[in-house]
Amino acid sequence: MTSTILQAINGVSLAALLFLLASGFTLSFGLMRVVNMAHGAYYLLGGYIGLSVARATGSFALALVAGGLAVVVLGYLVDRFLLRRTGENHLAQVLLTVGVAFVIGDVALRIWGGDYLKVPVPVALRGATELPGGLVYPTYRLVLIALGAAVGVLLWILYRKTQIGAVVRAGVDDREQVAATGINVDRLFVMVSALASFLAGMAGVAGGAFLTLYPGAEWEILVYALVVVIVGGLGSLGGAMIGALIVGLLDAYGRWLLPEFSYFVLFAPMAVLLLVRPRGIAGKEA
Amino acid sequence: MGRTRAVVLAVALAAALVLPFAAGPFWMGLATQMLIFGLLALSTDLLLGHAGLFSLCHASFFAVSAYTVAILQVRYGVPTALAAPAGLLLGTVLAAVFGLSVRTRGVYFILVTLALGYVIWGVAHRWSSFTGGDNGVTNVPFPGAGPLAIVSHTQYYYLVLAIVAICMLGYRVLVRSPFGLTLRGIKASESRMRSLGYRTGVHLYAAFVLSGALASFAGVLYVYYNRFVNPVSASFPISVEAVLMAIIGGSGTVIGPFLGSGIILGLRNWVSSFFELYAAVLGIVFIATVLWAPAGIMGIAGQLRARLGRTRTAPA
Repeated sequence: MTSTILQAINGVSLAALLFLLASGFTLSFGLMRVVNMAHGAYYLLGGYIGLSVARATGSFALALVAGGLAVVVLGYLVDRFLLRRTGENHLAQVLLTVGVAFVIGDVALRIWGGDYLKVPVPVALRGATELPGGLVYPTYRLVLIALGAAVGVLLWILYRKTQIGAVVRAGVDDREQVAATGINVDRLFVMVSALASFLAGMAGVAGGAFLTLYPGAEWEILVYALVVVIVGGLGSLGGAMIGALIVGLLDAYGRWLLPEFSYFVLFAPMAVLLLVRPRGIAGKEA
Repeated sequence: MGRTRAVVLAVALAAALVLPFAAGPFWMGLATQMLIFGLLALSTDLLLGHAGLFSLCHASFFAVSAYTVAILQVRYGVPTALAAPAGLLLGTVLAAVFGLSVRTRGVYFILVTLALGYVIWGVAHRWSSFTGGDNGVTNVPFPGAGPLAIVSHTQYYYLVLAIVAICMLGYRVLVRSPFGLTLRGIKASESRMRSLGYRTGVHLYAAFVLSGALASFAGVLYVYYNRFVNPVSASFPISVEAVLMAIIGGSGTVIGPFLGSGIILGLRNWVSSFFELYAAVLGIVFIATVLWAPAGIMGIAGQLRARLGRTRTAPA
């Protein structure tokens, strides 16, 4: 019973991390119709840069911000000089961003090496916390859940309750119409893209503190984020949240009950979805 | 133009036949790989070039058939005559399951196939008691059936050349058949084909399974060449490289994927001999192809031919 609950918390903490990554992916697809396969590489690079900053300054908060901001700069350059030239051709976008991810991954391998590296966590978050009911659980993962929830709430407020959010939602539904009302859609794109990049970079630092960073991690985390997006439905923030919880929980119980087939567990939600609802839980026209 | 093409094909075939005598084992090995990975690229291009579906899971069929052959031959001593068809069959069965993904289109199809492919990599990597984990399965013998046994790399090269040539011919017949025409119709406008009464879903599913079968075939040829198989063969880079090969060579053609395979494999051998960052170079090739050569070599050749044709007819 205790382990069942512990695995549930494991799943929710992974879900919090996946949500950070998937929300950016799904928003930039929803608004800009851009499929960015380099999202996993952004995660890894943000994590590595955060790691170096944390080692140099000893500050985890600074590492989170630095990892996020570094990826914002990189993401802007990729958008501005490469992705913009592909128009709405998804095939071209996928190949191009896979190429970008290969370059980032290989360069990162030369700089940070091939070992499993862990972003150092501040002392206050290192121990374990006793939860009501006598369960003892690593503090860091609880903080991660709080971080994911906070980002989720902030994004929801930004998306649903502010004027910028209203414009973004309008842009998701009909971009030309929004541009016709005199709103600078290009600036909107840059902002949403920067937000997505920042979340990916920050997720890298947060994830690097418990999943570790290593060559190849970019594709593993990307696939998890993609399953989240597929299950939740492309372009939907709420879908990303539900998808992240489903994938996080399935993965935690899968690793616990069927360690040799833990990846196979991911197949199940996709198969069900393909049979029943190919657009995902909250998906719009792709 | 028909005669030019016949001459080019005859020269290429002659070059392929004399290669083992004219060049060393290094070039023969490279040519064998080029044929095998070209076949894999060709299989992805049945979907991409004709049906307009961008699949990122073809390494799965390739790897499942390779693993099946390796495990049956090495661990259970099953002869080639049974192991090779079993590999082909299992890869195709997997394609019949993954073929469910044709219920999605566009971006969803790309993302779903990528994730499905990853599941197979995960099984190869994690289920180490059966697949051998990261070490994979080693010591796969050369194929043989009774008195007919392959004993050298040269013989195997000729076998691969013959099989690939037959596959290319069969593929050409397939894409020129009414079925191929229907696929291209769906690529151009699925809604129109549906209103004409075509069951587009069934056609796409059939194309997916056929394409998976071809990828499995490549997997069988690969495992007998490589003599071992590990999770790398199921990994995402294999899938996406196969698509890149098809595009670089020229999507929608029969020769293109093989040209692309030759270019990528040649580049890998050449670059990794003096430069550590091969993956980064490959990434730049991806970017450059998308930006500057989306129609590939065959596309560029077609443009040149059209331009030459125009200048030739202009004075007349």
